[in-house]
Amino acid sequence: MSTTPAQRYARQLPVWGEQRQRRLAQGTVLVAGVGGLGATVAQLLARAGVGRLYLVDEGRVDWPDLNRQTLYGEGDVGRAKIDVAVARLAAINSKVEVIPLSGRIDEAFVFPAGVEVVVDCLDNWPSRFSLHRASPVGGWFVHGGVQGEQGQVLTLKVGTSQPLERIFAGLAQASEPLPVTPDGAAIIAGLMTNEIFALLGGAPKLLDRILVVGLADLHWTFLEV
Amino acid sequence: MVQVSFYSLLRLLLKRETLALPWTPGLDVRQLLTRVQAEIPTPFLDRLLDADGTLIPGTIILVDRHNIHHLAGLATPIPDGATVALFPPGAGG
Repeated sequence: MSTTPAQRYARQLPVWGEQRQRRLAQGTVLVAGVGGLGATVAQLLARAGVGRLYLVDEGRVDWPDLNRQTLYGEGDVGRAKIDVAVARLAAINSKVEVIPLSGRIDEAFVFPAGVEVVVDCLDNWPSRFSLHRASPVGGWFVHGGVQGEQGQVLTLKVGTSQPLERIFAGLAQASEPLPVTPDGAAIIAGLMTNEIFALLGGAPKLLDRILVVGLADLHWTFLEV
Repeated sequence: MVQVSFYSLLRLLLKRETLALPWTPGLDVRQLLTRVQAEIPTPFLDRLLDADGTLIPGTIILVDRHNIHHLAGLATPIPDGATVALFPPGAGG
């Protein structure tokens, strides 16, 4: 069964217009980490029609992932997340090119050519810092983090903004798994995706500006960096 | 004056977003934190500093947008008119 872009994107075209939709279709985004944040970010990007998605993740689906990692179900437990994610995203939107990348995120990580936006959906600071250090100069870097009912989103211009490692210096990773709620992950992922759409439209909203979200009392504030 | 801003769980804990304090010559981050604690009834310094007075990982402190880790740590001088942010970010993904 096939359809046209006009039909598939009929509900968003009145909001964005055809020119912006074409721009999304030309976009290339790398999603690092396909877990609580990344599974939803990647899914929304695919549903929106972003042209090419690179995915990076070394993990396997586990039971505690299922409360928030929206691409996976019970039958996926034990499978490589990236394999499941590629198949699910292809099933959602076959017009989007979804490319899995193997390898650990570190300084030696080689970015494919043409990546416009790097999306930090990782779950630990050392890997996040490595991802930013390896990111292409001049590209966009969207960071997201979530813990309990709190989270944040930030956009950096690689090579121009303060490096992620300078902003978040001194943080240590907890030895235990962090608490994350289903709604917390989905809301932060949704805000990250909103920012990615803005970036691809050439108008970032969170450049050098952390959006800090508190769900316990539905509060958000901004922190300039 | 020095404007201190509290984010995320610190804002929830302290039930306030900001606190303005008069600037004094020689003021540094450690002194500022002590003065903030004196102004706020809810204990919070033990979340930022350990028994030895060392910064506990988990909260970043920015003085005019710059993390004190890349300045002089708790001895970072605070200029008059500065904005100091205390932010424990979400670490999960």
